Amino acid sequence: MLKKKRSLWLLTTAFIFAQFAWLGLLGLWIYWYVSNYIIFEQVGTKLSPQIVINSPDVLIFSGGIVLIVAIAVVMSFIFRYFIVQMKMTNLYDNFIANVTHELKSPLASIQLYLETLISKNVDETRRKEFIALMLKDSNRLKKLIDTILEVSRLERKVISHHYNIYNAGAILPAVARNSMEHFRMPENSFTIECTAVSECVLDNAAMQIVFDNLTDNAIKYSPDNLQIKISIYEKSDKIFIEFSDKGIGISGKDLNRIFSRFERLSNPNNPSVRGTGLGLYLTREIIKSHGGKITVKSEGENKGTSFMIEIPVYKDQSGSYLNTLLKRSSKNEIRDDKDGRE
Amino acid sequence: MEENKIKGSKILLVEDEETMAIGLEYNLTDEGYVVEWAKNGRDALNFYDKGRYDLIILDIMLPYFSGFEIAKEIRSRSPKVPILFLTARTSSEDRVRGLELGADDYITKPFDLREFLLRVRRMLLRGRWYSDVSKDSPKAKIGDCVVDFDNLTVKSKSRSITLTSREAVLLRYFLENSGRVISRGELLENVWHLSSEVETRTVDIFVSRLRKYFEPDPDSPIYFKSIRGEGYLFDKR
Repeated sequence: MLKKKRSLWLLTTAFIFAQFAWLGLLGLWIYWYVSNYIIFEQVGTKLSPQIVINSPDVLIFSGGIVLIVAIAVVMSFIFRYFIVQMKMTNLYDNFIANVTHELKSPLASIQLYLETLISKNVDETRRKEFIALMLKDSNRLKKLIDTILEVSRLERKVISHHYNIYNAGAILPAVARNSMEHFRMPENSFTIECTAVSECVLDNAAMQIVFDNLTDNAIKYSPDNLQIKISIYEKSDKIFIEFSDKGIGISGKDLNRIFSRFERLSNPNNPSVRGTGLGLYLTREIIKSHGGKITVKSEGENKGTSFMIEIPVYKDQSGSYLNTLLKRSSKNEIRDDKDGRE
Repeated sequence: MEENKIKGSKILLVEDEETMAIGLEYNLTDEGYVVEWAKNGRDALNFYDKGRYDLIILDIMLPYFSGFEIAKEIRSRSPKVPILFLTARTSSEDRVRGLELGADDYITKPFDLREFLLRVRRMLLRGRWYSDVSKDSPKAKIGDCVVDFDNLTVKSKSRSITLTSREAVLLRYFLENSGRVISRGELLENVWHLSSEVETRTVDIFVSRLRKYFEPDPDSPIYFKSIRGEGYLFDKR
């Protein structure tokens, strides 16, 4: 970390020094050119009548300036590129550290229970408890690996979603409820309201990941008051899913960063949050692939967070994005069937 | 016999991963220790304020305060209580930082259960052993420094330092074996009670800490000398 900070400092210093050097050179050049021109004009003909200067060579002079300015601009671009690269490397390093931790912790726990079961005389009740804990950890590992693979597929654009037409009023509350059950949310800690009636095009499994990620997020960031409210409604050919919690919220400056890949926000009020920085990035990519968008708002820290998802209402129009999704999806299914038969 | 002495020892387990904590608590309780579990850094310091512990087992990545911060805080209050880091962070920087902050041992996850329990037992035994031997010869002099093993302080004309219990045990071992070359393996076996094949970096970190306390110039040691390929030679002078 210290090395990176030092190299950033060196890079910035070198860049500023280079800019001063270019500008200094430019200034000196102009000064030299103008003063020499004046001298030649005043005494040149007296010293040597052969020297005749009618006018300064404006083309060479201005061409030189343009070249120096161009070099300075290119250097700025290179500098900016390096800064972005350094930021990405930093995020990537954090991601690797987080993933390593997220992989090792459940693995260590599973190993601990296996060794305990082998080496100790564990009674039946405890044995069952330990097996349940191992299952919990193996699910955690599975979820982490699935997320990483899903993101990798998304980035290589080889993901094969299976889209179908659903009634939004039936499918979305069911998917939301699945998530609540998956995370064992108490009945009084969430509400699901739905007034949407139109059809929409969804990949059921992918939408489940979206709801799971948002629920997981709400749980992580609501240490004291876990209350989730999901409102599903439609307006102007769009289906809206508003997913709100009463957790620690997000400060305004962090709102733009929340969907970035590898990005993890730190909050001193809730520092326990573990993760990889991929969950909300994956969520956004899935919603985008459904032809929709996701935004987030928060009144500020400790005032809860609200995610708003928009997906288009399905209308049978040839050539529309949703129809293209459905066609692509049926091709995938045929291919999957063939693969299955083979 | 020795085992009976440490039965009922009180351990503060600071671990935010519930599944890991339940398993550790089960195993430590099964060994006869009394375990209190703190789920985050804030709870750990609250627990520590209220209770007396024979050993602290600390994770690093913790809510509110990191394990490093907790170790630093605990060390500033009590140099004697043994601290064991149990963490998924494996980098040598983290290991060195943990030991430099006064931890006595550092185990990375995933770990071998038997080795973990052995290290815990040795740390608890060492705590007992230390309190026994410090009664016999509570003071020693190295250069212009006077070591008081009773309250773990090192005093010279210019400064006063507090030793950790592991540093004190290591120093005592050097004092008792003055003028003889001691291998790293021997130190691991007799001070850390670990197999000499485990690793040697930990020993070097602790010796460098002693050099900082006692040597006029730690880069050119006159008391804690390195013998290339052999180990260390303590020259009391």
